[in-house]
Amino acid sequence: MRPGPGGCCCRRTVRANGCVANGEVRNGYVRSSAAAAAAASQIHHVTQNGGLYKRPFNEAFEETPMLVAVLTYVGYGVLTLFGYLRDFLRHWRIEKCHHATEREEQKDFVSLYQDFENFYTRNLYMRIRDNWNRPICSVPGARVDIMERQSHDYNWSFKYTGNIIKGVINMGSYNYLGFARNTGSCQEAAAKILEEYGVGVCSTRQEIGNLDKHEELEELVARFLGVEAAMAYGMGFATNSMNIPALVGKGCLILSDELNHASLVLGARLSGATIRIFKHNSEFAAEFTAVYMRIYIFFSCFASMEGSIVRLPEVIALKKKYKAYLYLDEAHSIGALGPTGRGVVDYFGLDPEDVDVMMGTFTKSFGASGGYIGGKKELIDYLRTHSHSAVYATSLSPPVVEQIITSMKCIMGQDGTSLGKECVQQLAENTRYFRRRLKEMGFIIYGNEDSPVVPLMLYMPAKIGAFGREMLKRNIGVVVVGFPATPIIESRARFCLSAAHTKEILDTALKEIDEVGDLLQLKYSRHRLVPLLDRPFDETTYEETED
Amino acid sequence: MAVGSRTGPGSECQDPDWATERDPSPRPRARGLTQKTPTTNSGGGSRMNVGTAHSEVNPNTRVMNSRGIWLSYVLAIGLLHVVLLSIPFVSVPVVWTLTNLIHNMGMYIFLHTVKGTPFETPDQGKARLLTHWEQMDYGVQFTASRKFLTITPIVLYFLTSFYTKYDQIHFVLNTVSLMSVLIPKLPQLHGVRIFGINKY
Repeated sequence: MRPGPGGCCCRRTVRANGCVANGEVRNGYVRSSAAAAAAASQIHHVTQNGGLYKRPFNEAFEETPMLVAVLTYVGYGVLTLFGYLRDFLRHWRIEKCHHATEREEQKDFVSLYQDFENFYTRNLYMRIRDNWNRPICSVPGARVDIMERQSHDYNWSFKYTGNIIKGVINMGSYNYLGFARNTGSCQEAAAKILEEYGVGVCSTRQEIGNLDKHEELEELVARFLGVEAAMAYGMGFATNSMNIPALVGKGCLILSDELNHASLVLGARLSGATIRIFKHNSEFAAEFTAVYMRIYIFFSCFASMEGSIVRLPEVIALKKKYKAYLYLDEAHSIGALGPTGRGVVDYFGLDPEDVDVMMGTFTKSFGASGGYIGGKKELIDYLRTHSHSAVYATSLSPPVVEQIITSMKCIMGQDGTSLGKECVQQLAENTRYFRRRLKEMGFIIYGNEDSPVVPLMLYMPAKIGAFGREMLKRNIGVVVVGFPATPIIESRARFCLSAAHTKEILDTALKEIDEVGDLLQLKYSRHRLVPLLDRPFDETTYEETED
Repeated sequence: MAVGSRTGPGSECQDPDWATERDPSPRPRARGLTQKTPTTNSGGGSRMNVGTAHSEVNPNTRVMNSRGIWLSYVLAIGLLHVVLLSIPFVSVPVVWTLTNLIHNMGMYIFLHTVKGTPFETPDQGKARLLTHWEQMDYGVQFTASRKFLTITPIVLYFLTSFYTKYDQIHFVLNTVSLMSVLIPKLPQLHGVRIFGINKY
């Protein structure tokens, strides 16, 4: 049971900027009352030209056209009816049954599982299963080699033809800065450390698993983020699910974004706190009818399916208004956003001290595995003793640690080259170019202009399979997603851009996407951007969009 | 995307309570925990969950609220009616009664007979024994979709009564059919299984 507010100070993070002033948030601007003008936080906001955002924040989620929605339902309806028909045929042995069923002797007992729960898998997923879990046989950088496979029984089983499709453009890996390589300085350093330290430590951090490499990594991460201290963990998912129960307990309130990742949700659930969920990126004016010990706001920086970026300045203003703590999950945005690659805080030009708990993973931009939590030294010291992961989970493997250290030093520019800076800039350019060109072609693209995750809307279930297959025929590997992973009328193809993609690769991909878009009639957008407009759309551009 | 295991041993907090009424306002609602856990089964093929785009525990609850589904539903009834009208040697009153009967039968089967979800949900099977009507909006009564789906058979009934010229036999058939579709929608019958029919 956690102590109350008067309890041990090591359990609470103390902010450097003192207590919260009474400000109001109106129209995105923070106005401070006279008595609180001295508080450093308010002046910090007001000096930004009176606004919270230093740059235009362009995010768009164009609504589904009605005709497309109706046709999507027709598609799912037809598939459902055919699914029932096929189930009927399979039941009466007219058609061969490929999936697992109970044995004849067991039919009289209570059924082991509900057949209907696999209706979707049997009748919809199986038809287009060849778009997922494609086996690769090379390092998944900007290009990847995929093993060709064929199915003679409508995707129930696959046979390898023996061919390898070489050089498929990889638009599915979270390889934002291009560190998914098996050559280069990172690989050499990791190989050297492998020979020195071995593969793993087989122990937890608190027993004998704490290496000098781990301390070096944590000190580097803290410097990278601009926080006082940091702690690294072996698994990104576990960073959230194991540390949130250590920080939050019964009697606390968690305000959680709708699109938060499963790890945040699991950690929140394990902690036993009261949880309230709010719609993605919407303002909320909550009335607290109960008294809570601590209030936490959980945010993921990138909703990885939507490509939207959290409105961090507003969230921080809100956090100060309610005297809450902010827990920011930067799994995707660390390394990918911001002029120096330091994540969403860097992107908005804010102070890292405003975020109480900065969490991130090393899996996406750093080409490694694991996660970290950064914050005040007191917080991290507390986590070192109380985190479930520190007590029970094995610590990071040394070659992985070395990979993270090398890649992070590269991004920071400390290895003597400007490779890191170039990668960050290349990613930003790739993102803007790719999104702009897709919008010009007339596709509906969700999300923020600066987000390297680009969801392209497909809507109809048949187009999910068609898009994946047509793109593979043209040597491009994409990830497609449909219901129930997305809302029923919002199936999409998700492109993940990388600094490893050169402009030629992007141009090839765009040309093929254009072709497939015409073939499958995917150009649903009703807002066409004028192609000549090179600067971002702001209040001074008038008759630029044709509606 | 990390691969997570099913729900941990944590305490139950604010889980969607199927039987109570709650205000479905879009502001912070006591909707409890939503969780998206992309599980990958290697055996029979994994699900299409390449990381979910929303933390909706049971997507079935939101289907009837999606954009364009009401229009699609009305169009589907219209299509059924037109198909029946094109059968030769069938008079207009019979066609209307057939439309009403087939529509109500379809509604009864899909909304009040079929139980559970056609996909695995991360809520450990809370909805396995619930029909789609009971799953809608997590059991909150009198939402917009529920009202729409209650009113549609009634409107169809009025139209049918008019076009059958209030004939006695048609009246009996249509009324019985309407009752079979309206009674399961009553909030008092939420989760009720008469004589244990369709319980498991």
